[in-house]
Amino acid sequence: MQRIGGASAALQTAANTSHAKDRGAERRKEKRKRIERRLWCLRKKRYKLTIKYIRSYTSSMSRSPGRKQENHKISRELFVLTYGALVAQLCKEYEKDEDVNACLDRMGYSIGIRLIDDFLARSAVKKCRSYSETADMIAQVAFKMYLGVTPSVSCNSVTGNEFSLILDKNPLVDFVEELPAERASLCYCNLLCGVIRGALEMVHLAAEVSFLQDRLKGDAVTEIGITFLRKPEDRRHRRNK
Amino acid sequence: PAVCAGNYPLYIRSVPTENELKFHYTVHTSLDVVDEKISAMGKALVDQRELYLGLLYPTEDYKVYGYVTNSKVKFVMVVDSSNTALRDNEIRSMFRKLHNSYTDIMCNPFYNPGDRIHSRAFDTMVNSMMMQVC
Repeated sequence: MQRIGGASAALQTAANTSHAKDRGAERRKEKRKRIERRLWCLRKKRYKLTIKYIRSYTSSMSRSPGRKQENHKISRELFVLTYGALVAQLCKEYEKDEDVNACLDRMGYSIGIRLIDDFLARSAVKKCRSYSETADMIAQVAFKMYLGVTPSVSCNSVTGNEFSLILDKNPLVDFVEELPAERASLCYCNLLCGVIRGALEMVHLAAEVSFLQDRLKGDAVTEIGITFLRKPEDRRHRRNK
Repeated sequence: PAVCAGNYPLYIRSVPTENELKFHYTVHTSLDVVDEKISAMGKALVDQRELYLGLLYPTEDYKVYGYVTNSKVKFVMVVDSSNTALRDNEIRSMFRKLHNSYTDIMCNPFYNPGDRIHSRAFDTMVNSMMMQVC
Protein backbone atom coordinates (compact mmCIF):
# COMPACT_ATOMS: atom_id res chain seq x y z
CA MET A 1 0.00 0.00 0.00
CA GLN A 2 2.71 2.32 1.06
CA ARG A 3 4.77 1.41 -1.98
CA ILE A 4 1.94 2.12 -4.37
CA GLY A 5 1.20 5.31 -2.52
CA GLY A 6 4.86 6.19 -2.62
CA ALA A 7 5.12 5.45 -6.35
CA SER A 8 2.12 7.57 -7.19
CA ALA A 9 3.36 10.29 -4.90
CA ALA A 10 6.75 10.16 -6.66
CA LEU A 11 5.07 10.38 -10.06
CA GLN A 12 3.00 13.26 -8.87
CA THR A 13 5.95 15.12 -7.48
CA ALA A 14 7.97 14.44 -10.64
CA ALA A 15 5.09 15.55 -12.85
CA ASN A 16 4.21 18.63 -10.87
CA THR A 17 7.39 20.55 -10.34
CA SER A 18 11.17 20.43 -10.69
CA HIS A 19 11.70 22.63 -7.69
CA ALA A 20 14.85 21.80 -5.68
CA LYS A 21 12.85 21.25 -2.53
CA ASP A 22 10.55 18.81 -4.26
CA ARG A 23 13.49 17.07 -5.83
CA GLY A 24 15.03 16.72 -2.39
CA ALA A 25 11.74 15.34 -1.04
CA GLU A 26 11.56 13.02 -4.02
CA ARG A 27 15.06 11.77 -3.37
CA ARG A 28 14.22 11.18 0.28
CA LYS A 29 11.11 9.24 -0.71
CA GLU A 30 13.11 7.15 -3.17
CA LYS A 31 15.68 6.45 -0.51
CA ARG A 32 12.96 5.39 1.94
CA LYS A 33 11.47 3.11 -0.69
CA ARG A 34 14.85 1.54 -1.38
CA ILE A 35 15.44 0.97 2.30
CA GLU A 36 11.98 -0.55 2.72
CA ARG A 37 12.50 -2.82 -0.25
CA ARG A 38 15.80 -3.99 1.13
CA LEU A 39 14.25 -4.66 4.52
CA TRP A 40 11.45 -6.57 2.87
CA CYS A 41 13.94 -8.70 0.94
CA LEU A 42 15.89 -9.41 4.12
CA ARG A 43 12.74 -10.39 5.97
CA LYS A 44 11.81 -12.72 3.17
CA LYS A 45 15.28 -14.24 3.22
CA ARG A 46 15.14 -14.73 6.96
CA TYR A 47 11.74 -16.33 6.65
CA LYS A 48 13.03 -18.68 3.97
CA LEU A 49 16.06 -19.59 6.04
CA THR A 50 13.87 -20.34 9.04
CA ILE A 51 11.67 -22.62 6.98
CA LYS A 52 14.73 -24.32 5.54
CA TYR A 53 16.16 -24.82 9.01
CA ILE A 54 12.93 -26.27 10.37
CA ARG A 55 12.60 -28.60 7.41
CA SER A 56 16.17 -29.83 7.67
CA TYR A 57 15.84 -30.28 11.41
CA THR A 58 12.63 -32.29 11.20
CA SER A 59 13.78 -34.33 8.25
CA SER A 60 16.99 -35.31 10.00
CA MET A 61 15.01 -36.17 13.09
CA SER A 62 12.48 -38.25 11.23
CA ARG A 63 15.20 -40.27 9.60
CA SER A 64 15.73 -43.42 11.60
CA PRO A 65 18.87 -42.75 13.63
CA GLY A 66 19.46 -46.39 14.33
CA ARG A 67 21.29 -46.66 11.03
CA LYS A 68 24.71 -45.44 12.06
CA GLN A 69 26.48 -44.03 15.07
CA GLU A 70 26.71 -40.25 14.75
CA ASN A 71 29.13 -38.08 16.61
CA HIS A 72 26.67 -36.22 18.76
CA LYS A 73 25.09 -39.33 20.21
CA ILE A 74 26.33 -40.74 23.48
CA SER A 75 28.03 -44.09 23.38
CA ARG A 76 26.16 -47.31 23.63
CA GLU A 77 28.50 -48.71 26.27
CA LEU A 78 27.71 -45.80 28.53
CA PHE A 79 24.01 -46.45 28.22
CA VAL A 80 24.34 -50.19 28.80
CA LEU A 81 26.60 -49.65 31.81
CA THR A 82 24.21 -47.04 33.22
CA TYR A 83 21.32 -49.43 32.93
CA GLY A 84 23.36 -52.17 34.55
CA ALA A 85 24.35 -49.91 37.42
CA LEU A 86 20.69 -49.00 37.86
CA VAL A 87 19.63 -52.63 38.13
CA ALA A 88 22.52 -53.52 40.42
CA GLN A 89 21.68 -50.65 42.74
CA LEU A 90 18.03 -51.67 42.86
CA CYS A 91 19.11 -55.19 43.70
CA LYS A 92 21.12 -53.84 46.60
CA GLU A 93 18.19 -51.81 47.89
CA TYR A 94 15.41 -54.36 47.58
CA GLU A 95 15.66 -57.89 48.85
CA LYS A 96 12.92 -59.47 46.81
CA ASP A 97 13.03 -59.84 43.04
CA GLU A 98 9.38 -58.85 42.68
CA ASP A 99 10.11 -55.49 44.27
CA VAL A 100 12.96 -54.83 41.87
CA ASN A 101 10.80 -55.86 38.93
CA ALA A 102 7.97 -53.60 40.06
CA CYS A 103 10.34 -50.69 40.53
CA LEU A 104 11.83 -51.15 37.05
CA ASP A 105 8.32 -51.33 35.61
CA ARG A 106 7.32 -48.07 37.31
CA MET A 107 10.42 -46.33 36.03
CA GLY A 108 9.80 -47.64 32.54
CA TYR A 109 6.22 -46.42 32.74
CA SER A 110 7.28 -42.89 33.55
CA ILE A 111 9.78 -43.00 30.69
CA GLY A 112 7.16 -44.37 28.30
CA ILE A 113 4.57 -41.70 28.89
CA ARG A 114 7.16 -39.11 27.92
CA LEU A 115 8.89 -41.04 25.18
CA ILE A 116 5.71 -41.50 23.14
CA ASP A 117 5.64 -37.81 22.22
CA ASP A 118 9.21 -37.91 21.03
CA PHE A 119 8.50 -41.04 19.05
CA LEU A 120 5.39 -39.66 17.37
CA ALA A 121 7.16 -36.42 16.50
CA ARG A 122 10.16 -38.12 15.00
CA SER A 123 8.51 -40.94 13.17
CA ALA A 124 5.40 -39.14 11.88
CA VAL A 125 3.54 -42.42 11.60
CA LYS A 126 -0.09 -42.60 10.63
CA LYS A 127 -2.83 -43.81 12.88
CA CYS A 128 -2.71 -47.56 13.36
CA ARG A 129 -5.92 -49.27 12.40
CA SER A 130 -5.48 -52.49 14.25
CA TYR A 131 -3.59 -53.98 17.13
CA SER A 132 -1.35 -55.93 14.83
CA GLU A 133 -0.34 -52.73 13.08
CA THR A 134 0.44 -51.21 16.45
CA ALA A 135 2.60 -54.16 17.41
CA ASP A 136 4.40 -53.98 14.07
CA MET A 137 4.97 -50.28 14.59
CA ILE A 138 6.47 -50.84 18.01
CA ALA A 139 8.75 -53.55 16.75
CA GLN A 140 9.90 -52.14 13.46
CA VAL A 141 9.97 -48.42 14.07
CA ALA A 142 10.27 -47.76 17.78
CA PHE A 143 12.71 -50.49 18.71
CA LYS A 144 14.82 -49.69 15.68
CA MET A 145 14.83 -46.01 16.51
CA TYR A 146 15.75 -46.30 20.15
CA LEU A 147 17.63 -49.55 20.56
CA GLY A 148 18.81 -50.32 17.07
CA VAL A 149 17.32 -53.81 16.97
CA THR A 150 14.21 -55.04 15.21
CA PRO A 151 12.32 -57.78 17.00
CA SER A 152 10.02 -60.04 15.07
CA VAL A 153 6.32 -59.93 15.81
CA SER A 154 4.07 -62.91 16.19
CA CYS A 155 0.40 -63.03 17.05
CA ASN A 156 -0.39 -65.32 19.92
CA SER A 157 -4.13 -65.41 20.22
CA VAL A 158 -7.04 -65.87 17.86
CA THR A 159 -8.79 -62.71 18.99
CA GLY A 160 -5.85 -60.60 17.87
CA ASN A 161 -5.21 -59.17 21.30
CA GLU A 162 -1.96 -60.82 22.22
CA PHE A 163 1.30 -60.33 20.44
CA SER A 164 4.85 -61.15 21.23
CA LEU A 165 8.04 -59.44 20.19
CA ILE A 166 10.92 -61.85 19.85
CA LEU A 167 14.35 -60.35 20.32
CA ASP A 168 17.32 -62.46 19.48
CA LYS A 169 19.73 -59.68 20.31
CA ASN A 170 19.13 -57.45 23.30
CA PRO A 171 21.67 -54.63 23.59
CA LEU A 172 20.86 -53.97 27.24
CA VAL A 173 22.26 -57.31 28.36
CA ASP A 174 25.49 -57.11 26.38
CA PHE A 175 27.73 -57.37 29.41
CA VAL A 176 25.55 -59.45 31.67
CA GLU A 177 26.27 -63.12 31.18
CA GLU A 178 23.79 -64.54 33.58
CA LEU A 179 21.79 -63.47 36.56
CA PRO A 180 23.39 -63.98 39.95
CA ALA A 181 22.23 -67.08 41.75
CA GLU A 182 20.19 -65.28 44.38
CA ARG A 183 18.28 -63.26 41.77
CA ALA A 184 16.84 -66.03 39.71
CA SER A 185 13.49 -64.42 38.98
CA LEU A 186 14.74 -60.94 38.21
CA CYS A 187 13.46 -59.50 34.94
CA TYR A 188 16.53 -57.57 33.95
CA CYS A 189 14.89 -55.61 31.14
CA ASN A 190 11.63 -54.94 32.89
CA LEU A 191 12.16 -51.27 32.15
CA LEU A 192 11.32 -52.01 28.51
CA CYS A 193 7.99 -53.49 29.54
CA GLY A 194 7.15 -50.37 31.50
CA VAL A 195 8.16 -48.14 28.59
CA ILE A 196 5.87 -49.98 26.17
CA ARG A 197 3.02 -49.99 28.65
CA GLY A 198 3.34 -46.26 29.36
CA ALA A 199 3.64 -45.32 25.72
CA LEU A 200 0.56 -47.34 24.76
CA GLU A 201 -1.42 -45.84 27.59
CA MET A 202 -0.74 -42.32 26.37
CA VAL A 203 -2.31 -43.22 23.05
CA HIS A 204 -5.29 -44.69 24.88
CA LEU A 205 -4.48 -48.32 24.37
CA ALA A 206 -4.46 -50.18 27.64
CA ALA A 207 -2.10 -53.11 27.58
CA GLU A 208 -0.23 -55.49 29.77
CA VAL A 209 3.36 -56.11 28.89
CA SER A 210 5.58 -58.75 30.39
CA PHE A 211 8.48 -61.02 29.63
CA LEU A 212 7.50 -64.46 28.41
CA GLN A 213 11.00 -65.76 27.79
CA ASP A 214 14.33 -64.40 28.86
CA ARG A 215 17.78 -65.31 27.56
CA LEU A 216 19.29 -64.49 30.92
CA LYS A 217 17.19 -67.19 32.53
CA GLY A 218 18.26 -69.82 30.08
CA ASP A 219 15.65 -69.58 27.33
CA ALA A 220 16.67 -69.47 23.73
CA VAL A 221 15.37 -66.00 22.93
CA THR A 222 13.96 -63.01 24.72
CA GLU A 223 10.22 -62.66 24.23
CA ILE A 224 8.10 -59.71 25.30
CA GLY A 225 4.36 -60.33 25.40
CA ILE A 226 1.91 -57.49 24.80
CA THR A 227 -1.74 -58.11 25.66
CA PHE A 228 -4.19 -55.42 24.64
CA LEU A 229 -6.94 -55.22 27.19
CA ARG A 230 -9.84 -53.82 25.25
CA LYS A 231 -11.65 -55.42 22.32
CA PRO A 232 -10.65 -53.94 18.93
CA GLU A 233 -14.10 -52.44 18.37
CA ASP A 234 -13.94 -50.47 21.58
CA ARG A 235 -10.77 -48.65 20.59
CA ARG A 236 -11.04 -44.91 20.95
CA HIS A 237 -9.71 -42.41 18.48
CA ARG A 238 -5.93 -42.43 18.54
CA ARG A 239 -3.97 -39.25 18.41
CA ASN A 240 -2.90 -38.61 14.84
CA LYS A 241 0.42 -37.09 13.85
CA PRO B 1 47.27 -68.48 34.56
CA ALA B 2 46.17 -66.41 37.47
CA VAL B 3 44.54 -63.03 37.90
CA CYS B 4 45.55 -61.14 40.99
CA ALA B 5 44.47 -57.82 42.37
CA GLY B 6 45.84 -56.39 45.56
CA ASN B 7 47.99 -59.45 46.20
CA TYR B 8 45.26 -62.00 46.53
CA PRO B 9 44.18 -64.11 43.59
CA LEU B 10 40.87 -63.50 41.90
CA TYR B 11 41.23 -66.48 39.63
CA ILE B 12 43.60 -69.40 39.36
CA ARG B 13 43.48 -72.24 36.90
CA SER B 14 46.05 -74.85 35.97
CA VAL B 15 45.95 -77.66 33.46
CA PRO B 16 47.93 -80.48 34.99
CA THR B 17 46.11 -80.81 38.25
CA GLU B 18 48.96 -82.34 40.16
CA ASN B 19 51.37 -79.97 41.91
CA GLU B 20 48.67 -77.34 42.00
CA LEU B 21 49.86 -76.08 45.33
CA LYS B 22 53.31 -75.56 43.90
CA PHE B 23 51.87 -73.44 41.13
CA HIS B 24 49.95 -71.36 43.64
CA TYR B 25 53.13 -70.82 45.60
CA THR B 26 55.03 -69.86 42.46
CA VAL B 27 52.38 -67.33 41.56
CA HIS B 28 52.57 -65.74 44.98
CA THR B 29 56.32 -65.44 44.90
CA SER B 30 56.26 -64.02 41.41
CA LEU B 31 54.01 -61.24 42.67
CA ASP B 32 56.98 -59.83 44.53
CA VAL B 33 59.04 -59.71 41.36
CA VAL B 34 56.12 -58.04 39.58
CA ASP B 35 55.88 -55.35 42.22
CA GLU B 36 59.59 -54.78 42.00
CA LYS B 37 59.37 -54.34 38.26
CA ILE B 38 56.46 -51.90 38.56
CA SER B 39 58.30 -49.66 40.96
CA ALA B 40 61.42 -49.82 38.81
CA MET B 41 59.53 -48.74 35.68
CA GLY B 42 58.35 -45.56 37.35
CA LYS B 43 57.38 -42.87 34.92
CA ALA B 44 58.21 -44.67 31.70
CA LEU B 45 54.88 -46.42 31.37
CA VAL B 46 54.00 -48.02 28.10
CA ASP B 47 50.43 -48.65 27.15
CA GLN B 48 50.48 -52.43 27.30
CA ARG B 49 53.00 -53.24 29.91
CA GLU B 50 54.33 -56.70 29.79
CA LEU B 51 56.83 -58.09 32.22
CA TYR B 52 58.83 -61.03 31.14
CA LEU B 53 60.17 -62.67 34.25
CA GLY B 54 62.25 -65.43 32.86
CA LEU B 55 63.21 -68.59 34.65
CA LEU B 56 62.41 -68.46 38.31
CA TYR B 57 63.64 -71.86 39.41
CA PRO B 58 66.36 -73.19 37.17
CA THR B 59 65.82 -76.69 38.53
CA GLU B 60 62.11 -76.77 37.93
CA ASP B 61 62.51 -75.48 34.44
CA TYR B 62 59.43 -73.47 33.81
CA LYS B 63 58.88 -69.87 32.84
CA VAL B 64 56.68 -67.34 34.53
CA TYR B 65 55.25 -64.44 32.58
CA GLY B 66 53.60 -61.42 34.06
CA TYR B 67 51.33 -58.69 32.74
CA VAL B 68 49.98 -55.68 34.56
CA THR B 69 47.11 -53.44 33.57
CA ASN B 70 46.89 -49.74 34.31
CA SER B 71 44.48 -50.54 37.11
CA LYS B 72 47.13 -52.63 38.86
CA VAL B 73 45.56 -55.96 38.08
CA LYS B 74 48.24 -58.57 37.54
CA PHE B 75 48.05 -61.56 35.27
CA VAL B 76 50.58 -64.32 35.89
CA MET B 77 51.17 -67.27 33.61
CA VAL B 78 53.31 -70.30 34.39
CA VAL B 79 54.46 -72.29 31.39
CA ASP B 80 56.47 -75.46 31.06
CA SER B 81 59.86 -74.76 29.58
CA SER B 82 59.79 -77.98 27.60
CA ASN B 83 57.17 -76.33 25.48
CA THR B 84 59.65 -74.30 23.45
CA ALA B 85 57.18 -73.62 20.66
CA LEU B 86 55.68 -70.75 22.63
CA ARG B 87 56.97 -67.47 21.28
CA ASP B 88 56.81 -64.05 22.80
CA ASN B 89 54.08 -62.96 20.39
CA GLU B 90 51.87 -65.82 21.42
CA ILE B 91 52.32 -64.99 25.06
CA ARG B 92 51.43 -61.39 24.31
CA SER B 93 48.31 -62.37 22.42
CA MET B 94 47.26 -64.67 25.24
CA PHE B 95 47.64 -61.87 27.73
CA ARG B 96 45.66 -59.57 25.47
CA LYS B 97 42.83 -62.09 25.30
CA LEU B 98 42.91 -62.42 29.06
CA HIS B 99 42.77 -58.67 29.41
CA ASN B 100 39.79 -58.39 27.03
CA SER B 101 37.87 -61.08 28.87
CA TYR B 102 38.67 -59.39 32.13
CA THR B 103 37.25 -56.07 30.90
CA ASP B 104 34.09 -57.86 29.84
CA ILE B 105 33.73 -59.22 33.34
CA MET B 106 34.27 -55.77 34.83
CA CYS B 107 31.39 -54.46 32.72
CA ASN B 108 28.99 -56.95 34.29
CA PRO B 109 26.91 -54.83 36.67
CA PHE B 110 26.61 -57.66 39.15
CA TYR B 111 30.35 -58.11 39.50
CA ASN B 112 32.00 -56.18 42.33
CA PRO B 113 35.68 -55.43 41.81
CA GLY B 114 37.67 -57.55 44.23
CA ASP B 115 35.33 -60.52 44.07
CA ARG B 116 36.49 -63.87 42.86
CA ILE B 117 35.75 -64.43 39.21
CA HIS B 118 33.05 -67.02 38.55
CA SER B 119 32.16 -66.16 34.98
CA ARG B 120 31.54 -69.07 32.67
CA ALA B 121 32.73 -67.22 29.58
CA PHE B 122 36.02 -66.45 31.25
CA ASP B 123 36.43 -70.11 32.21
CA THR B 124 35.80 -71.34 28.68
CA MET B 125 38.19 -68.78 27.25
CA VAL B 126 40.96 -69.73 29.67
CA ASN B 127 40.39 -73.45 29.11
CA SER B 128 40.50 -73.10 25.36
CA MET B 129 43.67 -71.06 25.60
CA MET B 130 45.37 -73.61 27.81
CA MET B 131 44.28 -76.50 25.61
CA GLN B 132 45.82 -74.69 22.71
CA VAL B 133 49.16 -74.46 24.47
CA CYS B 134 49.46 -77.87 26.08
